[in-house]
Amino acid sequence: MANLSLRDATKTFNDDGDEIVAVDNLNLEIEDGEFLVLVGPSGCGKSTTLRMVAGLETPTGGSINIDGEPIHRQTPQERDIAMVFQSYALYPHMTVYENMAFGLEESSDLPDDEIEERVHTAAEMLGITDLLDRKPGELSGGQQQRVALGRAIVRDPKVFLLDEPLANLDAKLRAEMRTELQQLQEDLGTTTIYVTHDQTEAMTMSDRIAILDGGTLQQVGTPMQCYHEPANVFVAGFIGEPSMNFFDVTLEDGVLVGDGFEYPLSEEALASVEGTTELVLGIRPENVEIGDDLSGPKEFSGVIDVIEPHGNENAVHLRFTEAATDETFTSTVDGMRHLTGGQSVGVSFPEDAIHLFDGTTGEALRNRIVEEVEQVQEIGTK
Amino acid sequence: MARSEDTVAGSPPVSASTTSEDWRDRLHRFSKSDFVRSFPYWFIPFSIMGLGVYGGIGWNTLISLTDYEGFRERPDFTSPDLEMYAQALQDPAVIVTTKNTFILMIVFTTVTMLLGLFLAILLDREIRFKEKIQTIYLLPMALSFVVTAQFWLWMYNVNNGLVNVLLGVFGLGPYNWIGNPDLVLGSVIFALIWQFSGYAMVVFLAGLQSLPDDQFEAARVDGASTFKTYWRVIIPQLKSSSVSAAVILLIFALKAFTFLYSMFGQYRVPQATDILATLMVREAFQLQNWAYSAAIATILLVMSLAIIAPYLHYQHKQGSL
Repeated sequence: MANLSLRDATKTFNDDGDEIVAVDNLNLEIEDGEFLVLVGPSGCGKSTTLRMVAGLETPTGGSINIDGEPIHRQTPQERDIAMVFQSYALYPHMTVYENMAFGLEESSDLPDDEIEERVHTAAEMLGITDLLDRKPGELSGGQQQRVALGRAIVRDPKVFLLDEPLANLDAKLRAEMRTELQQLQEDLGTTTIYVTHDQTEAMTMSDRIAILDGGTLQQVGTPMQCYHEPANVFVAGFIGEPSMNFFDVTLEDGVLVGDGFEYPLSEEALASVEGTTELVLGIRPENVEIGDDLSGPKEFSGVIDVIEPHGNENAVHLRFTEAATDETFTSTVDGMRHLTGGQSVGVSFPEDAIHLFDGTTGEALRNRIVEEVEQVQEIGTK
Repeated sequence: MARSEDTVAGSPPVSASTTSEDWRDRLHRFSKSDFVRSFPYWFIPFSIMGLGVYGGIGWNTLISLTDYEGFRERPDFTSPDLEMYAQALQDPAVIVTTKNTFILMIVFTTVTMLLGLFLAILLDREIRFKEKIQTIYLLPMALSFVVTAQFWLWMYNVNNGLVNVLLGVFGLGPYNWIGNPDLVLGSVIFALIWQFSGYAMVVFLAGLQSLPDDQFEAARVDGASTFKTYWRVIIPQLKSSSVSAAVILLIFALKAFTFLYSMFGQYRVPQATDILATLMVREAFQLQNWAYSAAIATILLVMSLAIIAPYLHYQHKQGSL
């Protein structure tokens, strides 16, 4: 039980005289019992951040605290943390029992029978009691993954650190483990940092998401906040699958002029972008509406390029009829709806669903309508 | 309805003409098989090797069953017996040399491996100028026994050897490293360790470097100290490196004759360093006790096999053989 905070945590690596900033002045507060997911593309510094908390990397600046106590000068042995590695890092010469007991034997003065009891309790929780006498080499990937989790759970640490723990599992098992892990963390109530590059894992599992790019924090928030109120273009594009459509537009007399379309803005929307003329218009695929006829100023004529059926829904790739380039954008429609490639359709962007970003800084100037967001947000945070 | 091709297994016996055709067909196929076609290529090296090694072992064993000695008469194979083995087992020289052989084998192998492991761990912990250090330690391995022996003979010289000069700085010695029967075996073992620890290190280093970093990291996060990490997590995983290093070193210890012969320049080495291999050569080529020497050779062979057998078994169990 602990809260964890990173203050201006910085890590630079020295590569033949060149300084590479892996993590840049990162500030994060993780509440007691919270499940925080650190997400970002590879090389964004998320693993380095986790390793700094674990003590496997020393921060070059800033501090890391557990319950207000600075821990960044302590060795990993002195910090009360447990980590699950992407490769699981099970000890191949030890049985599952020995693997799970090892951490307790090394980090605590517990008597043997107490250790045995804790290992058995954790094994039961994970359903691996009948594997305790086996060696890791005899286990399947999913079983190894459970042992790796068990090794962390047994320790009953202040903080769990999980480094892409599901990355080596197949898709079906990954989906199962997602739910199970989430359930497990809720039952244990241990503060957890989970690193992943998979935005689906981030969205589905976390209490809060921290999105990193290029070593800097882009946004921290609940999954719903990050989805509906992205702080910038990067977050908007990273969260959500299929990702948000972006159009480079210029504001001319209250109208957004893009390649192949002109989108008149309401007074209210105009006020939020005041002073900026180079903009990026963003809209999520599920908000792009496809109709048969054209009516109204916010509808445009488009041509269907390709359709990807997903069963429950179809991802439709479209082009504006009047666009100069071949660039497509995506819309998701009901799976039962009949559409064909090459078909001409009407496309509309409802104004309360559009996002506007500053064309140069990428900063969000206007996100989709707020009342709706607050509602979903409540559901999101439980 | 089953078609005729489908009933091969249960088909009735075919006529005689078909059988002979079958036979010819099979012969034809045999003559085209990989076994026959590759025959000229593998048979020659195989028979030369077989004759040289296994023929030699067989011939040696045969001689050990006779009473063959001296140059006057040819060996008499009419009444083979185990007399020479019985004699060997009672010979105090054999008992002493066997004891020396074991001391040499165990002390040399253990110390060399521990030293090699220690050096490998130090190197693995990212000491700078890694490449150079590796070469420096491996260099003695590239030297021949003769060079090492001569080199250490000078080092151990009572009056002006480097070892005594160094010890003299601390007011110790001089010791007669070679002349003193209590010291000479230790001196020889030390020189052999010097030559072979680099080899052990390279074997262990390869083993260490094949371990992923996360094993060290997982142990650290689990709260293990550096010592405990190596003791409980890393070194147990070096089992296969240890086994291969140990087998090579044990075999080298058994055939340390070359080294001893180079060091002392004669068949009769100081008694404290007399091992089975030197006794064998002395019996054969100094005293012409051919049969007796052959018996000692067989005993040595059995000892070598006893060392290798567990290794082969281990390799087999691991599925690498």
